[in-house]
Amino acid sequence: MFDTVLIANRGEIALRILRACRGLGLKTVVAHSDADRDAAYVRQADQALCIGPASPSLSYLNPSALLYAAEVSGAQAIHPGYGFLSENAGFVEQVEQAGLRFVGPSAACIRVMGDKVAAKRAMRRAGVPCVPGPDEGLPDDPQALRQLAREVGYPVIVKAAGGGGGRGMRVVRQEGELLEALALTREEARRAFGNPEVYIEKFLLHPRHVEIQVLADSHGHAIWLGSRDCSLQRRHQKVIEEAPAPGIDEALIASVGESCAAACRQIGYCGVGTFEFLCEKGAFYFIEMNTRLQVEHPVTEMTTGIDIVQQQLRMARGERLAIAQADVPCRGHSIECRINAEDPDSFAPSPGRITGWRVPGGFGVRFDSHAGVGYRVPPYYDSMIGKLIVHGASREDALDRMRLALSELQVDGIATNVPLHRALLEDESFATGGVDIHHLERWLQRRSTP
Amino acid sequence: MNQEQIRNLIDAMASSELSELEYSEDGCTLRLVKQGVSTSSARGGRGAGDAGAAPQATAHRTNECLAPLYGVIHLQPSPGEPLFVQPGQRVAAGQTLCVIEAMKVFNEVRAEADATVAEVLVRSGEEVEAGQPLFRLD
Repeated sequence: MFDTVLIANRGEIALRILRACRGLGLKTVVAHSDADRDAAYVRQADQALCIGPASPSLSYLNPSALLYAAEVSGAQAIHPGYGFLSENAGFVEQVEQAGLRFVGPSAACIRVMGDKVAAKRAMRRAGVPCVPGPDEGLPDDPQALRQLAREVGYPVIVKAAGGGGGRGMRVVRQEGELLEALALTREEARRAFGNPEVYIEKFLLHPRHVEIQVLADSHGHAIWLGSRDCSLQRRHQKVIEEAPAPGIDEALIASVGESCAAACRQIGYCGVGTFEFLCEKGAFYFIEMNTRLQVEHPVTEMTTGIDIVQQQLRMARGERLAIAQADVPCRGHSIECRINAEDPDSFAPSPGRITGWRVPGGFGVRFDSHAGVGYRVPPYYDSMIGKLIVHGASREDALDRMRLALSELQVDGIATNVPLHRALLEDESFATGGVDIHHLERWLQRRSTP
Repeated sequence: MNQEQIRNLIDAMASSELSELEYSEDGCTLRLVKQGVSTSSARGGRGAGDAGAAPQATAHRTNECLAPLYGVIHLQPSPGEPLFVQPGQRVAAGQTLCVIEAMKVFNEVRAEADATVAEVLVRSGEEVEAGQPLFRLD
């Protein structure tokens, strides 16, 4: 059983993991790059080790540096956070071979879920609803391909099996474009993911992005912790998330959630994870599973009262799941705004020194951030500098609380997307709830053409 | 005392009529002297070299290409490829001089007018500050 955790990540999630470890009485080692050496959370850790220069490929993405840091610090477990090496099956194997515990699922589970065709096959077998389309390799014969796409029904989407997160896909609206689209996507996939395999699915026109948080132990138990709606996205990057997904029949969510938990039991999944779905006209379609902690996990923590990161660490320690499905509540409503160092109009990144920092507070307000006055947002990593999370008795209550909190939040010295969030919270469609995944892009389009 | 604070002091001094400025914080003292011999010094602080030369530099920036944002500078499109521009090279208005990377976004820096690259003032892979001179153009 481990008592010291190496945190192989940076920024707000490194601090979030550090807090969870402390809550459980675990010691922490923060592995940081040269660019993050002055960050406040680095000083809060029991130990801090510089693992390389600022460039991610030489530090946070360098398995040898992380394993060495674990060895010299005496950490027996590695928490990967999100991004970086969190879904890298090869890294998980190296961690296990070094006799350490990876805080996450097995390499085998990550590998299955990383191959979108294999994942779809596994999900269908477990009874999880999927997007119409085959879950096996495509035929070579052009005539058979045309027949297959016709059966799925146009428009279809061609996706790379090794893709994900919105990369490696192409929409085909009519039969004449099919073969060329397949060839192009194959070539892109070969270059980008080292795997030319592609597959075909029905393309949904106005879906919402709804996801299910799961929690599983290593003794065959799994539960689901409710739904989230993350439909407000720009270029496949989530901007605002909420829990639960509004306006969806409770019985439907429960049956989808139960199928996700069943899938976890079937594939021997351990830890936290998220099943992502497209939801259209009251039906759910599995798109992919994230085999790690997610940025937006706090909204589910707010509605369930469960500390997801502490639970994740407990599962990695081999504990039995102490929460029964019937004991998972869904109280009120929670919303999260991702606060990014970027221009609210042009989205140009805005790294640099923070000279003023006023954080909102009060009842039902949570602000997860590693930044503060004097902190210099480095130019090497992504632009998120914090997450503003609110909880309310109802969705309306949560929206009002978020508007107030955003009016209090003030960051000086760098540009942030706070003005964008303030404007979005005034959008009538978003306030009504249930907008589709293209809503934000349309909203931005309208804003730029007055 | 960090580089940006020092830079701010330099900028404040350059836009004022002050000829000498002394600033102390946390046991570090920085003395800036405009014109004459470079007698400024920083005891126990970083950036002493910058502080000595910069007040003059800020006063004459007409032929310098400045960094539009804080980030990491790349003088070539990707490793192993030729440099965007070399000293002595003629460049046309709109030509890419370098790329500044910030948070996974690559921002091209282009020549504002036809010119000759007299000097490259930075090294590839370095962090550059917003407003820092990158090239001297004639």
